[in-house]
Amino acid sequence: MSGHEHPSLKYMRKEVLPTAFCPGCFNGIVMNALFQAFEELEILDLKKYVFVSGIGCSSWIPSPYIKADSLHTLHGRAIPVATGVKLANPDLEVIVIGGDGDLASIGGNHLLHAARRNMDLVVIMINNLVYGMTRGQAAPTTPKGMITPTTPYGNPEEPMDVARLLASTNANYVAKWCISQYMFLKNSFKKVLGEIKRGFRFIEVYAPCTTFVIRRENKTPGQKLKELMNTCIGLEKLEKMPREERTKYIPTGVFKENDKPGFIDNYRQYVSISKR
Amino acid sequence: MFSIAYLGRGGQGIVFAATITAEALYEKGYYVAQLQNYGASVRGGSVLGYVVADNKPIKNPFVEVFDVMIALHEEGLKRWKCLVEKSKKIIVDEKLVKSEVSGAIKVPLSSIAEEEGVYQALNLVAVRLAFKVLGITGIDEVMDKLLKNRKNYDLNKKAYMIGKEIVIFRDFGTE
Amino acid sequence: MCMKRMLISGNEAVAYGAIDAGCRFYAGYPITPSSEIMHMMAKLLPEHGGVFIQAEDELAAINMLIGASWAGLKAMTATSGPGFSLMQEGIGYAVMTETPLVVVDVMRAGPATGQATKAAQGDLMQARWGRHGDQYLVVLAPESPQEAYDLIIEAFNISESLRTPVVFLSDEFIGHGREVVFRKDPEEIQLVERRRPSDHEPLFGSDDPRIPPPMPRLGDGYYVLVTGSTHNEYGYRDVHSFETHYRLVKRLKEKIWGNIDKIFKYEVVGDPEGAEKAVVCFGSTCRSAKEAIEGMDDVVLIRLITLWPLNYDLLRKLLSNVSLILVPELSLGQLIYDVQQVVDSDVKVIGVNKVGGGVPIYPSEIKEALKG
Repeated sequence: MSGHEHPSLKYMRKEVLPTAFCPGCFNGIVMNALFQAFEELEILDLKKYVFVSGIGCSSWIPSPYIKADSLHTLHGRAIPVATGVKLANPDLEVIVIGGDGDLASIGGNHLLHAARRNMDLVVIMINNLVYGMTRGQAAPTTPKGMITPTTPYGNPEEPMDVARLLASTNANYVAKWCISQYMFLKNSFKKVLGEIKRGFRFIEVYAPCTTFVIRRENKTPGQKLKELMNTCIGLEKLEKMPREERTKYIPTGVFKENDKPGFIDNYRQYVSISKR
Repeated sequence: MFSIAYLGRGGQGIVFAATITAEALYEKGYYVAQLQNYGASVRGGSVLGYVVADNKPIKNPFVEVFDVMIALHEEGLKRWKCLVEKSKKIIVDEKLVKSEVSGAIKVPLSSIAEEEGVYQALNLVAVRLAFKVLGITGIDEVMDKLLKNRKNYDLNKKAYMIGKEIVIFRDFGTE
Repeated sequence: MCMKRMLISGNEAVAYGAIDAGCRFYAGYPITPSSEIMHMMAKLLPEHGGVFIQAEDELAAINMLIGASWAGLKAMTATSGPGFSLMQEGIGYAVMTETPLVVVDVMRAGPATGQATKAAQGDLMQARWGRHGDQYLVVLAPESPQEAYDLIIEAFNISESLRTPVVFLSDEFIGHGREVVFRKDPEEIQLVERRRPSDHEPLFGSDDPRIPPPMPRLGDGYYVLVTGSTHNEYGYRDVHSFETHYRLVKRLKEKIWGNIDKIFKYEVVGDPEGAEKAVVCFGSTCRSAKEAIEGMDDVVLIRLITLWPLNYDLLRKLLSNVSLILVPELSLGQLIYDVQQVVDSDVKVIGVNKVGGGVPIYPSEIKEALKG
């Protein structure tokens, strides 16, 4: 059978399948895009890759499903743990996978400072708009007006645009894609794993929670995907639109792309000063 | 075993006085312990710095009775009244310490320092005076070396040597 | 013997000791009165091929240590009360995942911001019990800058050999007090390194709970699963079964308590057989206590160097003949509960408590209290 095995399976711990994700969860699409990127880059074994995640549904992607070293850390603390790993052994490629609540709310400070340092990490943030694991409470990314268990009268707060925020830092690479934009997402993964191999590389994936966002809207994941194909549009196209039109759309694309020295390079430079 | 305490106000260099006293005695081969008590701010607030020295390892640095206590400001005096009063030899600055301290000798340290143009280094005047009062000899060479490693050598050295010239008319014993 | 004599503060002594113990990673956030440790590590680590990073906060610092430790480096951070509070969740994670690391808490007067520059010993209970859940780790406390140097090396050794976080309780007097410290030659220092796995033995379980499982480095090809959730001996998360959770926390507890003979360090001054009175103390306070009891044949002093796990049986034995016990502490009294626990109710246990203002407990106060 192995000849007909799904190409993603070689990157997975088969013994723990099926995954615990809800039927129709978009996490699987993100995983496939990531594995396809590895495959196309001819990276067939993840021995030298370390995955670090926090708490939340998307944090379960690497732990236990990806066959690589993984650290499933405290809520919000994936980035500092990943930073420690990378600094202690720069030969390892360290990838953080987490949700919007984990990375942008409880871990928001770490996210900001890792970006400021241009820390040599790949950070994949799956933005499902809510705290999916704990029954869909409002997150800092929840749209204004959305009804959740903690905002029963409609979310009174404005959401944060994490990608745009990070684009204003020293981060080398910032992109945001909708789950409906599979090829862009996969190519973005290839970019940060194969081309820009240093500095802080951040990819946000807009993927509303199947259970606590899509079902609340009385839609199926398929219907939502179709809808996203229309509502997620490129940055350039968005900019050509009249201002009042723009709010209806979700801007996607590459917000920032650089290949400047990351923290590790800068630190090596710094250490060479100490030895002089 | 002997002990030296400096008392004053933040900004007077009390901790530095204790630091350099400890270093000089250390260089002379003593076991030393240096402790200080100060606030978080750089200026203002009372500061106590002290040094214990011995020919053998220091068992307890928490000294209650100092062999010599030099107070350079009123502020510290109130706070550390109990320690000041227990000290064997108490020297207070004539001008900067207003209140009466029983058994204390008033010395115009700050006035002399001001006249000589070394007011900023009043702490080092006190350091040399402490050595003198305790009869610690042969320490000037070590101090010179330590001061040379730091900024403002000329000023500091001048201030330090003034401490040597101050004469105290009290049977404290001198060099 | 070729020891290097230095005039340094206890904080600097901790940094030198850590370097000599093989510490090659430091992440921290500045806080009085611990910052000098951080300053020294910032200076020393690049020279020794190590890594230093100033974290954005203490939450980040402790978690960076966890990452670095799994990547194979001996790691340390230093903080004081407020920062130590922030580190608790990370320390709990280190207990659960059996991550060796050393956390130095240079104690100041609390709670909250308290008095930043004033010594205290009020974090004892927090060091033991600051985390949620069933968790056990090792707490050590030096009494002087010299011991800070020697004992921090021991802290790393215990941390490595038991795969556990170790909390090192210093205080402002030790941290900022400068004294003559003898630094050892590298050849004189016995270092312990964590055991690496030989084949595919379990990384999170062992038949004998006293023997910690081996720990690979990330990148060694073990496909390690590290998780703070309840996990089986291979690292797989199991957040449902009673057996897995009970087995895990029970083993983690026995790993610490079962090794008490190796971990528990203490000093006795005087004769516990002949003494009628005792002083039980830890940290810098013991130095005044030792001076106070000099020449008193009827007093025995017990200094606890290891504060957790505490050998209650031994303490009970040492205190079995006395009728009066003093427990001097730079707090309103925390160690005193341990002492009360091991003696009969007719034994008088008196706390000599003082905290704030940076005022030490003086020998005269202990002498006075010993009169009963």
